[in-house]
Amino acid sequence: MASLVVDPSTPSAAGRVLDSPWLSFTLRRGARFLVSMWVLVTAAFLMMHLVPGDPVRAALGIDAPADLVASRREALGLNDPLLTQYVDYLRNLLSGDLGISMGSGEPVGTMVVERLGSTVQLALLAFVVAGAIAVPLGVAMAVATRAGRRRGVELVFATSSMLAAAIPEFLLAVGLVYVFAVNLAWFPVAGAATLSSFVLPVLALAVGPTAILARIARVEMLAVLQDDYIRTARAKRLPARRIYLRHALPNALTATLTLGGLMLTTMVAGTVLVENIFAWPGLGSRIVQSITAKDYPVVQAIILIYGGLVLLVNLLVDITLALLDPRSTIREA
Amino acid sequence: MRTRWLAVVRTPLGAAALLLMVSMVTLAVLAPVIWGDRAVQVDTDAIHHGPSAAHLLGTDGLGRDILARVLVATRTSLGLATLAVAIAVGLGTLIGTAPSVLPRRLGRLITGAVNIAVAFPALLLALFFAVVFGVGTQGAVLGIGLAGAPSFARLTQTLSASVDGLDFVAAARVAGVSRFRILRRHLLPNIAEPLVVNATVGAGAALLAFAGLSFLGIGVQAPSYDWGRLLGEGVNRIYSNPAGALGPAVAVMFAGLAFNLLGETTAAVVGGRARTRPASAPGFAAAAVEEATGGGHTDGSAALENDVILHTDDLHVSFPAAKEWVTPVRGVSLTIRAGEAVGIVGESGSGKSLTALAASRLIEEPGVINAARLDFCGIPLLTTPERETRRLLGRSLAMVFQDPMKSFNPTMRVGRQLAETAVEHQDLDRRSALARAIDRLHAVRVPAPARRARQYPHEFSGGMLQRAMIGMGLMNTPRLIVADEPTTALDVTVQRQVLRLLADVRAETDAAILLISHDIAVISQMCDRVLVMYAGRIVEDLPVAELRTARHPYTRALLDVVPGLDADRTSPLGVIPGRPPEPSQFPTGCAFADRCRFATAACREEDPLLRPSDSQVDGDHRVACWHPVDGDRLLAQQSFVPIEAMKAGEIGG
Amino acid sequence: MGELRFDHVSVRYGGRRTGHTAVNDVDLVVPSGAVVGLVGESGSGKSTLARAAVGLTPVSAGAITLDGHDIVRPRRGDRPVQMVFQNPYSSLDPRMSIGESIAEALPRSERRNRSARAAEVVRLLELVNLDGDRAAALPGTLSGGQRQRVALARALAARPDVLIADEITSALDVSVQGAVVNLIRELQEQMELTMLFISHNLAVVRYVSDYVAVMNHGDLLEFGAADEVLSEPGHPYTRELLDSVLELGGCI
Repeated sequence: MASLVVDPSTPSAAGRVLDSPWLSFTLRRGARFLVSMWVLVTAAFLMMHLVPGDPVRAALGIDAPADLVASRREALGLNDPLLTQYVDYLRNLLSGDLGISMGSGEPVGTMVVERLGSTVQLALLAFVVAGAIAVPLGVAMAVATRAGRRRGVELVFATSSMLAAAIPEFLLAVGLVYVFAVNLAWFPVAGAATLSSFVLPVLALAVGPTAILARIARVEMLAVLQDDYIRTARAKRLPARRIYLRHALPNALTATLTLGGLMLTTMVAGTVLVENIFAWPGLGSRIVQSITAKDYPVVQAIILIYGGLVLLVNLLVDITLALLDPRSTIREA
Repeated sequence: MRTRWLAVVRTPLGAAALLLMVSMVTLAVLAPVIWGDRAVQVDTDAIHHGPSAAHLLGTDGLGRDILARVLVATRTSLGLATLAVAIAVGLGTLIGTAPSVLPRRLGRLITGAVNIAVAFPALLLALFFAVVFGVGTQGAVLGIGLAGAPSFARLTQTLSASVDGLDFVAAARVAGVSRFRILRRHLLPNIAEPLVVNATVGAGAALLAFAGLSFLGIGVQAPSYDWGRLLGEGVNRIYSNPAGALGPAVAVMFAGLAFNLLGETTAAVVGGRARTRPASAPGFAAAAVEEATGGGHTDGSAALENDVILHTDDLHVSFPAAKEWVTPVRGVSLTIRAGEAVGIVGESGSGKSLTALAASRLIEEPGVINAARLDFCGIPLLTTPERETRRLLGRSLAMVFQDPMKSFNPTMRVGRQLAETAVEHQDLDRRSALARAIDRLHAVRVPAPARRARQYPHEFSGGMLQRAMIGMGLMNTPRLIVADEPTTALDVTVQRQVLRLLADVRAETDAAILLISHDIAVISQMCDRVLVMYAGRIVEDLPVAELRTARHPYTRALLDVVPGLDADRTSPLGVIPGRPPEPSQFPTGCAFADRCRFATAACREEDPLLRPSDSQVDGDHRVACWHPVDGDRLLAQQSFVPIEAMKAGEIGG
Repeated sequence: MGELRFDHVSVRYGGRRTGHTAVNDVDLVVPSGAVVGLVGESGSGKSTLARAAVGLTPVSAGAITLDGHDIVRPRRGDRPVQMVFQNPYSSLDPRMSIGESIAEALPRSERRNRSARAAEVVRLLELVNLDGDRAAALPGTLSGGQRQRVALARALAARPDVLIADEITSALDVSVQGAVVNLIRELQEQMELTMLFISHNLAVVRYVSDYVAVMNHGDLLEFGAADEVLSEPGHPYTRELLDSVLELGGCI
């Protein structure tokens, strides 16, 4: 007796859409994104209020006249109850108002708009470079060194990638500045004037993550090569290239992609350090200044932007994963 | 455990890690004692000097010796990093294990909070906390510690969840063990090792984070100093005195590297990676390998000798393990003719699956196949280069594996996976290949084949997917179908359908079948002949019709211990004392001797060869035994041990 | 000893629209001191039912009682229903000696005195035909069959009235299964335990059980004396199961 595939009773069109795994996935991920954004926004808001002491006085200095402090406090709305401040803050955010810098008196929004592009360009370029090098390298290494082949090559790769992964980006940046500023003047070491000024900062940001990503890509590829369906592909006597590229690689990419997303967020954070060393006109160089100067509205805004970028990257990674892996949406539902 | 540590320390990795860590810790302890005064000694005459004999790395803005300061800063840098990672691990482990002891709602809230926090890179979190706690050492320590906690919490959660799903935790719960005791005695010991590895790596990350924050000026503040602060000061003067920046940079790098290496070493100890390799593969006293039979006939159209599809002679399969080679298949000789169905039955360690894989040339490095002969459709597989046998094997040999869900590529549609064999071996274009795939799916009775071909493997049921696998084998015209435990992973009602399908395929296409199974009933229903394997060797080779008069004690025992639907409930089930030997521990002589009632000293000395059983007229029945059972002499009861005779620890594996 | 009763028991996973019913309104009685064999294929719900009886899976509806007392929410220290699991390689903590694993299951009152505890562990080990002085051994040194016997000793340590055996021989070699089955049958008779024996192997179930219950897709389809159900099945699914059993020398 053949087993019948039982079809659920056909629901209405609306019912079918609502049951679609894609919609439930979008709703779930969207909800998670919004909740995380809300937590981020609230944390950024609370940050200023968690700081011990009076933030305005801390920014203006101990010797600042009391009435100046008082008027600034009034201007920033710091004398209102916390809940009112919170609501105002949310309302301002939604209309794009990020507050006023306590140091320069300028609207924070303008500063962000000026600098955001540079930071994003840097991080994205570093990510593209890292991915373009690391993934093919890692995959090629896995194929070349599987099952204990070519132990010499494996050793070289393991050692060099470990060394490269161990160098923090700011150290590498300092080293590059030293080599290219003090000795060889091939690339500019400060500012973002020309195209070539991208080279050193991107290098500094990308080297570590490239090494880590290459190692992960290799490990994932090796694991996939042990899976049963690769044995099936070999039993079908398919050519090696097809087995590696059409069967193994797509399955190895899933975990590599997750880590790639993590690397991108790490690079976004790394811009804070790298921008300071290369005097890059982005948000990273500004945030350190502001922290030292206790210019809290600026710090708040930049942390918000950085956090938002990170959440956005995570969302994009999740969507890409869902598109690539046919099981993922079903699995979650 | 200690032996593992010693073994790993001997490797270059372990030695380097040990060396670096020991020198760093020594510096941390001794440097402030030896150079402490020198490091704070101000010398207004020697401000911002470059490297000299007196000051190897030059001096800073107050004339202090930079080298001394770098060495002395080891204690601060290491100490702060350790403190920060301790906070991260402690807090993280606490938060990560809390959901298992708290009420469910609260636990889920904590898990949700961790999931949100873990999305943010540690540096951003550290900056956030540094702002809240204030710029300075204390703020930085708290900041880095708290920033690291979410990822440790997530790690602990994941590890705990994997242990939690194991049966021994469930058993403890069922036995009434309290949640705290389960956490303490079962969860924590089993997650401790990966945690330690990550904590080591985390210490390195904390060190780098600290250096970064101090470098930016928001970590350690003057007059205290750590490597990061020194680096920051040095970078300001990098054009005039690069050594001043180089010193702290190298120090940070060494420390980071030391922690990384230590982490990898710990992982190696914990994971127990076997680093030793045995010498070259064993040679065998097999006859010289026969030469390839004339060129050009690699497409299987050559006239076959007596219709023999597969022929192996003295097949051995070996794998390297620790210090020596293990040979799970030792001397298997079998012949399969066109249209014949041959079964191999055996338990764990018998080598039955490896035999099938070896015959199909699917054993990859580092496994090694040795045989006097291994011919498929007349072509010697071991001596003919792979590119010549590829097409032959692709078209004439079909494989069916045990777990269909794992044997299909989860990210490729089923139709495509079937079609690609035809594209490859029959030079069909994509469209025709796909059409043939749909046709084959129909032939194996998959309903709605056109729709199914567009689906992914996880959308199929187990039985249907196994039929699709058979269909995949039928894309070309196989002369031999090798099925390795094809129904073991399937339900019993589905098993019958799949086996019937195989039988029908054989009847329609005259393909031979090699069926591997641990279930002798399956083999007896599907096959004409059965080979019984034990400990890597064939112990009996007989027609299925003669199973009831099998002559090897193991075969008889196998038949007796499996209860049928008419088993006598008043007497205990049959048991073969002892258990099958592991491939790494095959004894000399007959491997079944330890469990055999009829074993004598001679059995343990020399391994019996597979010989025709002399009482058979047509010589189709071969046994490998010094005392093969004679039909009259033996009754069923004698080959197993009744329960009253069982002694502690001896019986029943 | 004691009658185990499942009363309109349902177990559901997931939400209302997308959820899955593993056990659907099952009424089953395991008479005191008797063995009920529970058969079914994958997805039948037999394991879920067992897990519900020992409190590992929450029950969505219905009650599970032992001699009338609700055992879904057991009183502290009271664990009259114990289970032996399928996988011998994950049912024992690899870092605890088998003696400790067994002792952990002893009732609190018996765990206090160290020497009494040790003596009881030895007694239980010998009850399952293992050497008493192996109590300090780690599970890694034992074979699959031996581990299953340790798991059985652990279940017995908790002084159960009801024992549930969930596919306890499926992961063992054929030549070794008999020992475990013989042992559990002997102990059940000796100690008059009420037993629920779960397996997909109909021949073994028939051999061990007094009664047989057949489940499929969460429903209980048939229940009756073992011999009757398995020689003259009432439900077509039971008939199909029986037809699928491959006997030696039969025809596909």
